[in-house]
Amino acid sequence: MADYLLVQALNGLVIGVIYAVIAAGLTVIFSILRIVNFAHGEVYMMGGYFAYFAIKLLGIPPMGAVLVAMALSLALSVVVERAFLTPLYSPTTERKGDYGILVTFGISIFLRNIALIIFGPYPLRPPSFITGALIAGGFVMTWDRVFDAAAGVLMLIALLWFMHRTSWGEALNAVSQSRESAAICGINDQRFYMLAFGLGGALAGGAGALVGPIYSLSPSMGLIPDTQAFAIVILGGMGSVAGSILAGLLIGVSESMFVALFPDPSRSLTYAQAFSLLVLMVVLLVRPTGFFGRTHTALE
Amino acid sequence: MRIPTLIASLVLLALALAFPHLVNAYWLSVSILAIFYAIITASWTLLVGYAGQFSFGHMAFVSLGAYTSGLLVTSFGVPIPLGMLAGIIVCAVVGSGVGYVGLRMRGPYLALFTVAFSEVLRIIFVSETEITGGSGGLEVPPLFHIRSDIPYYYLGLILLAASLGAMVALVSSRWGLFFRAIRENEQAAAAAGVRVIRFRVLAFAIASSFAGLAGGFYAHYVGILTPDIGSVDQMGLVVAMAVIGGAESLVASVIGALVLEVAIEALRSYGEWRLVIFGAALLLVIRFARNGLLPLAWDRLARANPRLRRVFAG
Repeated sequence: MADYLLVQALNGLVIGVIYAVIAAGLTVIFSILRIVNFAHGEVYMMGGYFAYFAIKLLGIPPMGAVLVAMALSLALSVVVERAFLTPLYSPTTERKGDYGILVTFGISIFLRNIALIIFGPYPLRPPSFITGALIAGGFVMTWDRVFDAAAGVLMLIALLWFMHRTSWGEALNAVSQSRESAAICGINDQRFYMLAFGLGGALAGGAGALVGPIYSLSPSMGLIPDTQAFAIVILGGMGSVAGSILAGLLIGVSESMFVALFPDPSRSLTYAQAFSLLVLMVVLLVRPTGFFGRTHTALE
Repeated sequence: MRIPTLIASLVLLALALAFPHLVNAYWLSVSILAIFYAIITASWTLLVGYAGQFSFGHMAFVSLGAYTSGLLVTSFGVPIPLGMLAGIIVCAVVGSGVGYVGLRMRGPYLALFTVAFSEVLRIIFVSETEITGGSGGLEVPPLFHIRSDIPYYYLGLILLAASLGAMVALVSSRWGLFFRAIRENEQAAAAAGVRVIRFRVLAFAIASSFAGLAGGFYAHYVGILTPDIGSVDQMGLVVAMAVIGGAESLVASVIGALVLEVAIEALRSYGEWRLVIFGAALLLVIRFARNGLLPLAWDRLARANPRLRRVFAG
């Protein structure tokens, strides 16, 4: 039993890294654009398919396909942002929060259904990054999971470096603190909305490309990670990248512990989906600002 | 001006009453489903468009009303009308509960909370197979024991007319003003003496009751319930209906629901492309005509012919 729990905990940690990548993307978008992106899970889904077709059609090796998927997800996000999100920055738009919810919800429905037509309802599984499994004593973990964890950590480090050590990251931070002050300092805020939405999309798409070989790809695969990412972002505190990373790991591990310890195995997997939703509801009720959230202000 | 309006309403009424005898059984059943969606869409509009409480959990209340009635009737032999009434009451109580715990949230937080609530409820309906039948579905006895759908059509029409009448009366009363005041600015509304807490909870309770009513009607019409009616995609359909019609007007959203449901069936030969088309239509409407297509059309018409303005204002 103890071995089983340890394996479950390590699997949870791997999934937690993936969750953290998705949630960090959602956080970047939230802190700059001040909207909750309901289409984030669908960009994650598209990232998975981008990687799949980069491997199958273009013959790109699986690891390179992750980068291709990130680039294409970034491009997709920038197009979406320019086409649908510009009213968020216009002073004449009424109730911007409501607009952001509705329009991203609409985008998620559109992407999910167009994916259903283009890619079909059947699950697709891209080839492994590294075949085989890591075996140490009684402990087994596929190399795919090891690679996913390593690549996820790399993405998170790159994100933190970008946000804190580059001038573009500084500018993003400035825009997130005050659009007006940033504009006074000569920062073209439009460009950084594009950058933030694209960056968030690239992270989601990269996560989708990473999970492909573990879980298969399907058009509805974004639904659950999307709500899980919301739970993580709110638990970590909206707007805090470090909080999202911590909360992602926490939710990943506690979710797989929940599956391992749930008394009725026939239901444990369906109720595992409800687990993060319950966490989300409890956190929203008890501490809506999460671990590291900035003050709980109404959205503009 | 009054006599043409009267004639137009009478013609519409006569058409609605004669409708089941003019179409075949297939389109009759489509129109019953359209009525079902119209009740849901109108109550969602009441909650979101008027009271400004962003909820994506409305279909959860439809499924709650449906399953409450269905389970009471199949397991305890409760008469169907009582079961439907129980569904409405359960939805009102749970709805006020959700409204109450949602008090500290607004905007996207509330939307997330209601999505989570809705998914948890759906997962419970899927997982507790001994009680609900899970994804396989729950068989529910029909309301009328005849082979024709005509009685369902008239019942649905009565329910829709009564619900819409009640909601229109509500939004044009003082309470309706309170709802809109809360939507525009909660602090200002509270400062002006609106009891914000009471009316936010009330908005949820009322809207959820209508959802429960629609759910009960659906359950005993279709005869088999699956957890899918509470899914996010169903919610998306209702959002599309309300927004394309016009989410700030009850009548516009009802027309949106009726037209969209009929359009979905009429475009059946396009298969899966239909949802993409509606998704795209939803996006374009949100982006370029946020108040919906009907208010836009009304505005144009009223500008072209000022005498019509009074009709549309009413």
